[in-house]
Amino acid sequence: MVMFLMVLCMSVFGLAVCGLAFGAATRGLPVGDETPLAAAVDERLAAVPERFFVRDVAPQPAPAARLIPQVPVEVFLAQIERHIRLEQAAAESFLSAPSLESLHGRTVSPLVH
Amino acid sequence: MSIEQADMLRGVSEGDAVRITALGSRIHVPAGAQLFELGTAAQDVFLIERGRISLTLPMRLGARQEDVMVEERTAGQMVGWSGLIPPHRFTLKASAQLDSDLIVLPRALVLEFFDANPSIGYVVMQNVASIVGARLQVFQAMWLREMQRFVETRSS
Repeated sequence: MVMFLMVLCMSVFGLAVCGLAFGAATRGLPVGDETPLAAAVDERLAAVPERFFVRDVAPQPAPAARLIPQVPVEVFLAQIERHIRLEQAAAESFLSAPSLESLHGRTVSPLVH
Repeated sequence: MSIEQADMLRGVSEGDAVRITALGSRIHVPAGAQLFELGTAAQDVFLIERGRISLTLPMRLGARQEDVMVEERTAGQMVGWSGLIPPHRFTLKASAQLDSDLIVLPRALVLEFFDANPSIGYVVMQNVASIVGARLQVFQAMWLREMQRFVETRSS
């Protein structure tokens, strides 16, 4: 009987100690109006940049390649015609004396430099 | 320059050259006027007696379309050999750079004359083949030069 009472007391004592320990461990946590877990996760996700693997600045679309230089069309046209004349002369030079050098010889055309 | 010295009539006697040119008619094309348009039916060939004819191709420059000169023809040279070569469509546009006089030779009359005089037709068609071949070779070389530059640009 004495043994039974001793075990009972020890159990009650142990339970009390566990209760106190649990109370001490959970005392710092907010209760009542605490933020739900899902909302906290959403806040964290919102703080993460949308594009994880790229820079924060969205890439700007590449400007369209300017095939026509910023010169008057008439000037550009004259350059093209001069280029054609020079290329024809170079081609005729190649045909009169065919060789690799004469085929790929440079002209003074500004359109190829 | 006499007419038999024209590129199309080289090797043809003066008398035969006169007979051929008599098949056609003479026209005057004022400076700036168009002789024929790219893509149109080619019924005639032209022999330039005087002046200068430019052969152009259309090119887009920005929002505009411009005619870019690719060849010039002067007195004694023929233009419009598409009139003799199938599919008889002009592959360039021709305009007079200067006041020009030309002989217009209708294909039907020329071919009829060649049928009746095959030896003359043979010489003339050899000349035409030489003119066409020369253009082909020149443009072939020009194209290869452009391709070479393209390759150099890509590999640099």
